Amino acid sequence: MPVKNRFAELHDDITAWRRDLHEHPEILFETHRTSAAVAEKLRAFGCDEVVEGIGRTGVVGVIKGKEANSGKVIGLRADMDALPIHEQTGVEYASKTPNAMHACGHDGHTAMLLGAAQYLAETRNFDGTAVVIFQPAEEGGGGGLEMCKDGLMDRWGIQEVYGMHNWPGMPTGSFGIRTGPFFAATDLLEIEVEGLGGHAAKPHETIDTTVVASHIVTALQTIVSRNADPIGNIVVSITSLETSSKAFNVIPQRVTMLGTVRTLNNDLRDLAEKRVVEICEGIAASFGAKARVNYTRNYPVMVNHDAQTEFAADVARSVSGDCAEAPLVMGGEDFAFMLEERPGAYILMGNGDTAMVHHPMYNFNDDAIPAGCSWWAGIVEQRMPAA
Amino acid sequence: MPIKNRFAETHAEIAGWRRHLHQYPELQFDVHETAKFVEEKLRSFGITDITTGIGRTGVVAVIEGKTNTSGRTIGLRADMDALPIHEATGLEYASKTAGKMHACGHDGHTAMLLGAAQYLAETRNFDGRCVLIFQPAEEGGGGGNEMVKDGLMDRWKIQEVYGMHNMPDYPVGEFAIRPGALLAATDQFDLIIEGRGGHAAAPHEAIDANLAAAHVLVALQSIASRNVDPIKQVVVSVCTLRSDTDSYNVLPQQVTLRGTVRTLAEDVRDLAEERLRAVVTHTAVAYQCTAEIDYERGYPVTVNHDEHTAYAADAAEKVTPGVWRDTPPIMAGEDFSYMLNARPGAYMMIGNGYGPTVHHPMYNFNDDAIPAGCSWYAEMVETRLPAA
Repeated sequence: MPVKNRFAELHDDITAWRRDLHEHPEILFETHRTSAAVAEKLRAFGCDEVVEGIGRTGVVGVIKGKEANSGKVIGLRADMDALPIHEQTGVEYASKTPNAMHACGHDGHTAMLLGAAQYLAETRNFDGTAVVIFQPAEEGGGGGLEMCKDGLMDRWGIQEVYGMHNWPGMPTGSFGIRTGPFFAATDLLEIEVEGLGGHAAKPHETIDTTVVASHIVTALQTIVSRNADPIGNIVVSITSLETSSKAFNVIPQRVTMLGTVRTLNNDLRDLAEKRVVEICEGIAASFGAKARVNYTRNYPVMVNHDAQTEFAADVARSVSGDCAEAPLVMGGEDFAFMLEERPGAYILMGNGDTAMVHHPMYNFNDDAIPAGCSWWAGIVEQRMPAA
Repeated sequence: MPIKNRFAETHAEIAGWRRHLHQYPELQFDVHETAKFVEEKLRSFGITDITTGIGRTGVVAVIEGKTNTSGRTIGLRADMDALPIHEATGLEYASKTAGKMHACGHDGHTAMLLGAAQYLAETRNFDGRCVLIFQPAEEGGGGGNEMVKDGLMDRWKIQEVYGMHNMPDYPVGEFAIRPGALLAATDQFDLIIEGRGGHAAAPHEAIDANLAAAHVLVALQSIASRNVDPIKQVVVSVCTLRSDTDSYNVLPQQVTLRGTVRTLAEDVRDLAEERLRAVVTHTAVAYQCTAEIDYERGYPVTVNHDEHTAYAADAAEKVTPGVWRDTPPIMAGEDFSYMLNARPGAYMMIGNGYGPTVHHPMYNFNDDAIPAGCSWYAEMVETRLPAA
């Protein structure tokens, strides 16, 4: 089975939905217009059940197969939210909202899952139930976790769950996947260094927090270079430095730093947290300052399950003829929460030679739509084959 | 088939050879007595085609199979040299030479390959030719490279080559291997940071090379933490720091730093060298010093060939079910890499059981691994060159 013929017919419709979403990006949980559009489409397709407001602004649609002997329920998930980026693509359907942009292709993800839902609701050529999941706030808000906390998995009896992300640099419509740890745990660092502010001409009467902060940034490099097993994968980045005063002649009382820690296993994650706290507190103490570390465990490592990964790759091969082994990704993905609750797999689909995600020139590639929709449909039809 | 019965019979004898070698460790290329011992043993097995002095003190011997219709030749390699470590095991067969010790198990490697040679010379149950390679100077001397440069592969027409190393903290006699990069490229660097010496009480009149060296050391951490893709592997370690004074009140003129860079891919190796040069040069300049950099590329990455790794793992599985086909890479280096760059092949790890790790003064090769190790060498020959 290559691309399903029906998606060749629907390609223009789905592209139009995608471009409409692209023009109207919404951030985090504020996906009100997007969610309403999704729910309306699902109802128009004749879904058996459409529920809004799961995980605040998430939408769930239920499509029953023509048979219900298997008792199987499979979840298919897409994300709906955009990013606080000012679009620079110049496409005619570019964002109408300054500083909001679908720069991660969630417009494409949502449109493809809608396309698959339309097809599945028309054909129902499977034995079981497909649950389509449209989540808000993938980009740092933990919308996936919120949906799980709202009882997503239990309420609809979901047994396995699948997700997809477009991937610039891979040939359009091709697939890539890997089993086991795939996307990184993304922890958040907030470090506040408190010293003693004063006149810049009298440093000896101060405890200079800019010096302390600089030493902390430098010392944090040693978590990767000295503490972590070099075979493991870890990133520690300080991303923001802000002094409590903005002057040429005042030594600040406080410096606040923000950053992230990315790891691909929990041992490294524990090690990193322990070392961040030790380094910040110890270095600060050595200068007579104090450091407060707020270490927030955000998205966990996203781990693909073996059996479901193999199945997802088989479906990808049936669509595109091949499925590559995807590299490890130090980015995070809150589909990790859904994979912690249910077995399943996350797959990458090529977006062609485009700008990278989160770049102001990025755009989802509509040519990938038929392959993406076919994969979704294949997951349902091949995992729950009609008798 | 598990361990070959013949090795149960010769186990004590092979352990005896191993313990003899353990008592008489020799360093680098100076493995004269070891090479002589190897040569004598090989002759006693009825092997006549023996060449010494390859790669200075290496030994190469040929065992012909009972037939050679295949025209194929396989190389099996062991290393013979010891380390400049003072043994602390207290064993009755401990090193008789102060400051020298078989602390990496090369005594065991050599004994196991001799054991396999004895069996292969007795049975010759293969179709082709087996070349035994005993190399000196694995521990930093590049003895493997010297043997390759002496024409080892061409002269004996070796088509594929296999080696083995013991692995502490892994079940004894079980095997571990991986396709692709298994052991790291090991580069080393000497840095001389030159400032201006002076009185410690008048730092403003000096250019403090210690301070510049400290900043260099800290800045070098950023190669691993900021420059190299976190999906890839690198180690940059500064291991020695030495000022040209050892006083309490003199700022040195020069500080010497010495260390190593370990990588598992050539592009990372290039990046690490490039960044090391830039970091050292410019950090020194920032503190008004100059830097002299001597960066020496050592052993290349030991890269197991996919197909031959599968052969090696299959042979190991005939010996024991305990075969890990995807063991993580190791950031240590291995000069078998030169042989693998010259011919396809694979490097196998054999469990040494639980105890001190290699290069530790309490380390000892585990003689219980001998039957499995010998069986693997023999299996490599018998399965790659099956008797007609």
